[in-house]
Amino acid sequence: MKVPYVDLITQHAPLKKEILDAISGVLDSGQLILGEQVRRFEEEFANLCGCKYAVGVNSGTDALVLSLRALGIGPGDEVITAPNSFVATASAIALVGARPVFVDVRPDMNIDPDQVEHAITPRTRALLPVHLTGKPADMHPLSQIANRHDLTIVEDAAQAVFAGYHGRRVGSLGTAGCFSLHPLKTLNACGDGGVVTTSDEILYQRLLLLRNLGLQTRDNCVVWSGNSRLDEIQAAILLVKLKYLLDWTRRRQANAAYYSEYLSGIPGLTLPIHDSREEPVFHTFIIRTGRRDDLRDHLARNGVGSAVHYPIPIHLQDVARELGYKAGDFPEAERQASRILSLPVHHSLRQDQLEHVVSVIREFFDS
Amino acid sequence: MRQPGRISVPFSYLDRQFADLDPYIDDLRDFVRTGDFTLGRPLVEFERRFADLCRAPHAIGVGSGTDAIILSLKALGIGPGDEVITTPTTFIATVGAIVMAGARPVFVDSEEGFVIDPSLIEAAITPRTRAILPVHYTGNAADMPAIADIAQSHGIHLIEDACQAIGASIDGRPVGSWGDTACFSLHPLKNLNVWGDGGLIITHDADLADRLRLLRNHGLRNRDEVVLFGGNSRLDTLQAVIGNRLIREVDFITGRRIAIARRFDSAFADMGNYVRVPARRPGVKHVFHLYVLRVSRRDALLEYLLERGIEAKIHYPIPVHLQEAARSLGYSEGSFPVSERDSRTILTLPAHQHLSDEELDHVIDTVRSFYGKG
Repeated sequence: MKVPYVDLITQHAPLKKEILDAISGVLDSGQLILGEQVRRFEEEFANLCGCKYAVGVNSGTDALVLSLRALGIGPGDEVITAPNSFVATASAIALVGARPVFVDVRPDMNIDPDQVEHAITPRTRALLPVHLTGKPADMHPLSQIANRHDLTIVEDAAQAVFAGYHGRRVGSLGTAGCFSLHPLKTLNACGDGGVVTTSDEILYQRLLLLRNLGLQTRDNCVVWSGNSRLDEIQAAILLVKLKYLLDWTRRRQANAAYYSEYLSGIPGLTLPIHDSREEPVFHTFIIRTGRRDDLRDHLARNGVGSAVHYPIPIHLQDVARELGYKAGDFPEAERQASRILSLPVHHSLRQDQLEHVVSVIREFFDS
Repeated sequence: MRQPGRISVPFSYLDRQFADLDPYIDDLRDFVRTGDFTLGRPLVEFERRFADLCRAPHAIGVGSGTDAIILSLKALGIGPGDEVITTPTTFIATVGAIVMAGARPVFVDSEEGFVIDPSLIEAAITPRTRAILPVHYTGNAADMPAIADIAQSHGIHLIEDACQAIGASIDGRPVGSWGDTACFSLHPLKNLNVWGDGGLIITHDADLADRLRLLRNHGLRNRDEVVLFGGNSRLDTLQAVIGNRLIREVDFITGRRIAIARRFDSAFADMGNYVRVPARRPGVKHVFHLYVLRVSRRDALLEYLLERGIEAKIHYPIPVHLQEAARSLGYSEGSFPVSERDSRTILTLPAHQHLSDEELDHVIDTVRSFYGKG
């Protein structure tokens, strides 16, 4: 039996007609840039997150870059984040000219609030927690630290659309929330896309300028900027998919619950855990084992796709040499990098596929 | 005699260009089925076709024409402390891109054809100058042989902003073949357009092409290894599907736009100081993304045309150096007399490939009648 790690083909098969109709509608409107579809998507997305505003941009990376720039963060500034994210988190900081400062993560793979304060310097301007795997970072202590030190919080919610924390949605827990709409995300465009949420009107107005070349009107440019607009067509596609997001999220959570129940109690295998006040959305379902690479091979031999998010922590990448970090600086993130494995958890999985994954893993650990 | 207002001549042509959506939707139906949405096979094909069209070995699809310029500057190592020479007679994105790369824009005035005046470039070169960024504005090629000589003699880079100039050439040599890179836009209102934002970079330098591919895709050498902080600026594969169909039409579109421009040129040739047709440089294939005239009583003419259903526009009423964003650069009114004078007299007429002869005649008659030359 084949269990692909991602399955965009199965996801899109039942949506094809709706998507093509939505695209045709955009062409009929004659408005291919920043039209009614983007406006509607932004409104619905803001509501979904419990925020006043949302701004559609070209990618999740740009969501971070534009948020940092809109907050005036640039050369000479430091931004604290986690080293185990996708590289774009750190890139966004570097791209605005600021310096990424890493803090180790907890066993739940999110930034450890207890270690954040040691990393704060007079140049620190913001905390950039990542809701990695779709599980919210521990925002209460982070907010307290931010308040004490007068720092801004920008949430990297690229993997965490609709995740909940103490009854609120991610994206509403900091000053800005940054989401990716990349094809491999739960709410996915058929191409690149991103969105920023905020309830701060000044920040919102600034983001509108920054995504659109600094143009206040067609002819007046008030601040230099580039072009990072969510495509109207992608917004139309996303509006189709938004109707299914709750259902898809519930199915991911059900898949995760199934794995958690049927993979529990295996010696040498660690499952993801979360606090009862957190509602993770399982962008990834990451298990941990010291025999990761062997298990991955075993899964592949039995038709089960898996992935590693991510095998090299950012501070140990080539690109990070200039930042002066070395192996051993973030022991938890480094240990996890060698042990983590992401299982298929997408909403198109069938029951027999889930059962197959469980039996293949059990067989591996039994032998 | 035609009644005023009976014909409407729109500036945008998307409704006419895509009146029959079926072939595009068929392509997209096949595409959506594949799930191949990021740096997918149709993008690779489109890059190949685009490179061939420009007679260049490498084409790299990116998020927008603006990003094409930003990534080109970064790939050439141009950033903070560096200066880049361009002209204030352009869309602000040219300049926004220079600032986004961290460099300082230095302006040089434009000439008769709305492109940078090569005779003024050398005076603007300083020890910090790293590149010249001529804009083939309106679809007219800047004087690349002269500009390339200057760049070469000073050992500085040359990046062509060809966002409006797909298909343009000088003595048969295509734009984009002089620069280290050339930057193109696929914005919905460009001669070669897609259904959203998109851009392309062409280059003849394989190392530069590799670096540009890193810069558009998070600096990823492979799935897991990151060699530079790159960000994300990929041309959507979905847009490449549309581009693969439209790229076959570029020669037709260019030919039709040139024919319309010739018709306008000769229709307004006798208008003296009322309507001045820019001199056309011999040997230059101008592709007329924008058909721009210099006219007297511009704002009154614009209003007159709009009242009669002709959607004329101004590209642009404020030169870039006089924008609020440019204050920090220290220019002022009078810094660039040609650009400033043009900003008060230029008018863009609708001149796209989907206009009928009747509509073109209506434009001509209406402009002439405004000046009592009907």
